[in-house]
Amino acid sequence: MTSRIDLGLPTPGTAGVPTLPDGQVLTGKDFTSDQEVRWCPGCGDYAVLKAVQGFLPQLGLRRENIVFVSGIGCSSRFPYYLDTYGMHSIHGRAPAIATGIATAREDLLVWVVTGDGDALSIGGNHLVHALRRNVNMTILLFNNRIYGLTKGQYSPTSETGKVTKSTPLGSVDQPVNPVSLALGAEATFVARTIDSDRKHLTRVLSAAAAHRGTSLVEIYQNCPIFNDGAFDALKDNDRKADAVIPLEHGEQIRFGPPGEDGRGTKVLVRDEVTGGVRAAFAADVPDEAILVHDAHNPDPTTAFAISRLTDTGSLDQTPIGIFRQVVRPTYDDQVRAQASTRRDLDDLQALIDGGDVWTVEEDR
Amino acid sequence: MTYVIAQPCVDLKDRTCVDECPVDCIYEGERMLYIHPDECVDCGACEPVCPAEAIFFEDDVPDEWADYTQANADFFAKLGSPGGATKVGKVADDPQWIKDLPPQEHD
Amino acid sequence: MTVTPEKPIKQVDRVIIRFAGDSGDGMQLTGDRFTQQTAVFGNDLATFPSFPAEIRSPQGTIPGVSSFQVHFASHDILTPGDHPDVLVAMNPAALKANVADLRPGAVIIVDSHEFTARNLSKAGYASNPLEDDSLARFQVHPVDLTGMTIEAVKDFGLTRKEASRSKNMFALGLVSWLYGRPIESTIDHLTRKFAAKPNLRDANVAAFKAGYHFGETTEVFAVSYEVKPAPAPKGRYRNITGNLALSYGLLTAGRLADLPVFLGAYPITPASDILHELSKHKDFGVTTFQAEDEIAAIGAALGASYAGHLGVTSTSGPGMTLKSEALGLAVMLELPLVVVDVQRGGPSTGLPTKTEQADLLQAMFGRNGEAPLPVIAPQSPADCFDAAIEAVRIAVTFRTPVVLLSDGYLANGSEPWRLPDVKSLPKIDPNFATGPNHTTADGAEEFWPYLRDAETLARPWAPPGTPGLEHRIGGLEKSDGRGNISYDPANHEHMVRTRQAKVDRIAETLPEVTVDDPSGRARLLVIGWGSTYGPIGAGVRRVRKRGLDVAQVHLRHLNPFPRNLGEILARYDKVVVPEMNLGQLALLLRAKYLVDAESRTRVRGTPFGAEEMEGILLDALADLGVAETSHRSTDTRVTEEALR
Repeated sequence: MTSRIDLGLPTPGTAGVPTLPDGQVLTGKDFTSDQEVRWCPGCGDYAVLKAVQGFLPQLGLRRENIVFVSGIGCSSRFPYYLDTYGMHSIHGRAPAIATGIATAREDLLVWVVTGDGDALSIGGNHLVHALRRNVNMTILLFNNRIYGLTKGQYSPTSETGKVTKSTPLGSVDQPVNPVSLALGAEATFVARTIDSDRKHLTRVLSAAAAHRGTSLVEIYQNCPIFNDGAFDALKDNDRKADAVIPLEHGEQIRFGPPGEDGRGTKVLVRDEVTGGVRAAFAADVPDEAILVHDAHNPDPTTAFAISRLTDTGSLDQTPIGIFRQVVRPTYDDQVRAQASTRRDLDDLQALIDGGDVWTVEEDR
Repeated sequence: MTYVIAQPCVDLKDRTCVDECPVDCIYEGERMLYIHPDECVDCGACEPVCPAEAIFFEDDVPDEWADYTQANADFFAKLGSPGGATKVGKVADDPQWIKDLPPQEHD
Repeated sequence: MTVTPEKPIKQVDRVIIRFAGDSGDGMQLTGDRFTQQTAVFGNDLATFPSFPAEIRSPQGTIPGVSSFQVHFASHDILTPGDHPDVLVAMNPAALKANVADLRPGAVIIVDSHEFTARNLSKAGYASNPLEDDSLARFQVHPVDLTGMTIEAVKDFGLTRKEASRSKNMFALGLVSWLYGRPIESTIDHLTRKFAAKPNLRDANVAAFKAGYHFGETTEVFAVSYEVKPAPAPKGRYRNITGNLALSYGLLTAGRLADLPVFLGAYPITPASDILHELSKHKDFGVTTFQAEDEIAAIGAALGASYAGHLGVTSTSGPGMTLKSEALGLAVMLELPLVVVDVQRGGPSTGLPTKTEQADLLQAMFGRNGEAPLPVIAPQSPADCFDAAIEAVRIAVTFRTPVVLLSDGYLANGSEPWRLPDVKSLPKIDPNFATGPNHTTADGAEEFWPYLRDAETLARPWAPPGTPGLEHRIGGLEKSDGRGNISYDPANHEHMVRTRQAKVDRIAETLPEVTVDDPSGRARLLVIGWGSTYGPIGAGVRRVRKRGLDVAQVHLRHLNPFPRNLGEILARYDKVVVPEMNLGQLALLLRAKYLVDAESRTRVRGTPFGAEEMEGILLDALADLGVAETSHRSTDTRVTEEALR
């Protein structure tokens, strides 16, 4: 809460959650439930599940103090496969339910598992408000750019012109960019990662869990059935150097095929014309003009500008990494600070007896 | 749990599974392909596409090929977890008993 | 301030006063203060505030009129009364909007200052009613309330506009004298309320006292009246509105269950008071969450319940509709949750500030699938306290969402409340699961989240943080016992029937409903629920006073019904069901008990009147050949006087 923040030391997202007794170590297996996983073969959800099961033991927290809440959609089956507490709720509402859990209980580490339809379409309102409130929880937004569970309709992140069962002539609406939306919604932690890059995914999960407040992690996740290859540009060895713009706090933003010095030959620089940022060849700009990524900048303007470099069409280019990571008091910490004492029945009697009370001394 | 490649792959290496694997965890040895037991996410994409029916869920490996489960793990003893087969390429690190297998014929 | 009355004092048994003015004139405060004075004095009372949905309609117009009616008596009363004896009208619109409700001979006090040509025209008067004979049936007292108020507060340095705002206190002072009300509590109240603004404090107190003294000295009023205190059991009392009582009930239930209360709510009339009130009491372990919408409000409350808190969400009809899906989830999850629906006129936005009882079927059935849940309703403002505790008891004991159906009339109406001794109230046991509840064939200990208590059919409540009880629940159908996802046809049938049986079984824990049939000879039964308790009770008294027999049942529990209800219904030749909807309870009674329950309904956004109810009952008795058909007169004052 405020006092902690005044020290200049961010309180970790896991503060208040009981840790394992000394010497006790859990493994991924401890977090694996007895339920058979039922996603389609090749689904990106498996990779994320595996990464999460592999990552959770690193936190050293008690399993019973971890809660996964999901909405509806393929990815929302997630909680069933983790041997923690979990709730598979209703379409789009997981952030609201998780807000109740996180606000009620400081000792729980709360995760939300959601998809592009769940979080950005039917549940768009709850996502926006969870982010602005900065409730201490991590939202894993599985973005496969399609409706999978309902068998292949276009989603709010599908590229314009998407031909699906519900849009046989091609979709006509502009897709939403989840990272831009989150930054606009006052989010304090916004990141993007890819299902197939376990190392990066794990690193981002780790940072998200450590962040106190709402962490939004967009995970590009391939649906091999209804939208196979949606992220191929980011995975294909020949194309990914140009497609992935890696963001590392404190480092120059470089991408593209490596040059002689082993560094990317493309860079991001400020765009003097638009006020945003643009890509350039490193050779064409002085070194000091190359944008150094600052995820901790209180002003989200540059992070937003970087997010706009995401190609919302065929996704031939996208920044990947932590866009923003700033400290702001959380909703739940502040609410709990307001409700610090617990008064008893005597105090309650006094409350009820307050106001304009009169006494009838004898039955009349 | 993980998926395991067994004898039908030896000296065949069809590689359809490699294209199918979403996490690039199927590595190439000298005589067969191997699934990385830690990198595999159990998604099951590889199993149905193998033309030789060489891939099995760990619990379902036929008894006659039970040793292949260990072979899939042993292959990575030196390699560790590189986090992706493509950049590693072919590694002539098959377990000795695989190396010693007689040549396998395929239709 | 002590007053030695020099004018004669006339004794009366009961009085109905209505204060009416522009919505900015402070009529609610005026009515509330008069009510407090009356409560302290010891009369029984009932109030009926009525105000427009708009915060400030155009000044001086009929839609902008706000009113507050208070009925007080030297005996037990049940309704705010049908026909005021006194109308205080702060402008022509207030007069016009209310005059039709007055009994003949009623006293009308108007602020003559406001009867200007412009205001008369805004109210739609072609001629000044103070000057023509249109008010001949009444005792009209034009008083320059504005002018005298400004004069009374001239020393406090206020602008003319500020000064004139205290005229409601002048009017209150005048009426307080007229009915011999104790005035100290109002002076205390004003002193506290305006503590930070001494000139406003002094002006309001001065205006109030000036009004009182004006009554004493003016020749306009020749007599004052006295209404003796009503019989009441020994105890401590305060006057309370339904929304406040309901809030206190939730607070108390939280302490009785030793559970922190989590209220998720989105502002909506007429339920917002509950959010406001509970937000004041964070020191009682209450968390209030003003959500982004109604869905998030119930979602967060359900999340809090899952986390082991007492989840509550409060709303009104349109919000109830939005919560349907989450309510279905709560039914499926079998977690405690209290949903307060303070009903208002519908459908859609309907009549936000007016009362209605038309959400009963929505509460019962407004979800997809077979999604039974308990429904209960308070019957009077103070009863909201007990009803809230009962809702929590059922929710916690049976692990189920409970709908508590209040309404706009109960929410804003008030009555004296005999203060409960909260320590003597029965505790509520959350009975959290603490360990495994199942042993497998090979001796392993497991936790099965849907293994039920044999008696209540309630499942274990195991909030996160309990080691070894990690489990997953959700909206998908679950296997009996283990709680894993199940698509098995026989299991689904079993679970659907079990959820229903769990709710049905609650009836076993409820007391039998009592029928009020003093003579035991009644052939007519009148049955109601919720806020119609007052009007039905008043109507029944009137009919009995005529020497006729009528039996009365009033339901708190609407789902499940009390277990002896069918037997009672079968006992009577005729059953009538007055409701402020088109016959929703009647539909349920007919369906469940195959009884020819007849609807008697009104949907005007206002409660039934006592006289109206009397007519309904007399007509029903006439159908039985017991009484003559409707002989209501417009001037019922004499009988009313005797019968209330």
